[in-house]
Amino acid sequence: MSWNVVDYGAIVLDHYENPRNVGEIEEADAVATVGNPACGDLMKLSLRVREGAVAEARFKTFGCGAAIAASSMTTVLIQGRKLQDLEKITNLSVAEALGGLPPSKVHCSVLAEEAIREALADYRRRAGLRGPVESSGAHAAIGARDKGEMGV
Amino acid sequence: MTGGGQEKKRRSGTLNVPAIVGFGKAAEIAKRDMPFESPRLETLGGCLWKRISREIEDVTLNGPAGNRLPGNLNVTFSHVEGEALLMALRETAALSTGSACASGTVRGSYVLRALGVPEEEAHSSLRFGLGRGNTEEHVDRVAGHLARAVRRLREISPFVQEARPA
Repeated sequence: MSWNVVDYGAIVLDHYENPRNVGEIEEADAVATVGNPACGDLMKLSLRVREGAVAEARFKTFGCGAAIAASSMTTVLIQGRKLQDLEKITNLSVAEALGGLPPSKVHCSVLAEEAIREALADYRRRAGLRGPVESSGAHAAIGARDKGEMGV
Repeated sequence: MTGGGQEKKRRSGTLNVPAIVGFGKAAEIAKRDMPFESPRLETLGGCLWKRISREIEDVTLNGPAGNRLPGNLNVTFSHVEGEALLMALRETAALSTGSACASGTVRGSYVLRALGVPEEEAHSSLRFGLGRGNTEEHVDRVAGHLARAVRRLREISPFVQEARPA
């Protein structure tokens, strides 16, 4: 065996035992499904976006303990963050926040990053935006969409 | 000298004499006890499967029910990943997923796949091996912890629909 439970730090174990923000948001503003159950990993991330920021993030994951912990930590990291800040969150941010992952489990944090990217892409598709959320114009558009379509 | 060329080529191999003797003794004991140990393990394995299938929904026994190695069970717990389940039982039992995931590949157990188990179900399987030291009490404890862990992990699983809105 190339991994062992002892390789997992306290934060990984905590997020595995007590995962944060489990669930699926109904009528979410962005949804991402990444991974492949045939490979033993599938992560579903859904976001509620308000005023250009993640108001709520929820996950459901089929995967090992590290995948569950990485998913849970991802929701914690992105909740409350501005959409353009999500671009800066990488698999390393997730792994670091978890206090590190054993080498054979780094791919779990990659899955988390993919979920964030995919959720952002999905948000833009729905909002009819193109490219990264960077210009202030785009922010204004997001804000307008939130108020207009989502009835905030 | 021919062979493995160990110890700066002074030996062709290092034979572990105490282990060889010990293994011989172990084989002797195993053969001696087989007439009663085999049926005992068969019964114990049957007990474990009975409890698992009674307490947990959507489980499948891989391989034939009767015609198998006594005390061996390979069970698919649908919608739950094997390693995650293993982790939940880390303080209860020593188990394996039987999958090659642990060695860095992403494929499920080739034995299960050869048996016709779909790839994603192979990732949801655990192998139980009962042995001389195991008792009914162990079976009870493992089954109880399993039921709780599967329930918990299915709440996280994207393949299980939530009963109530998030």
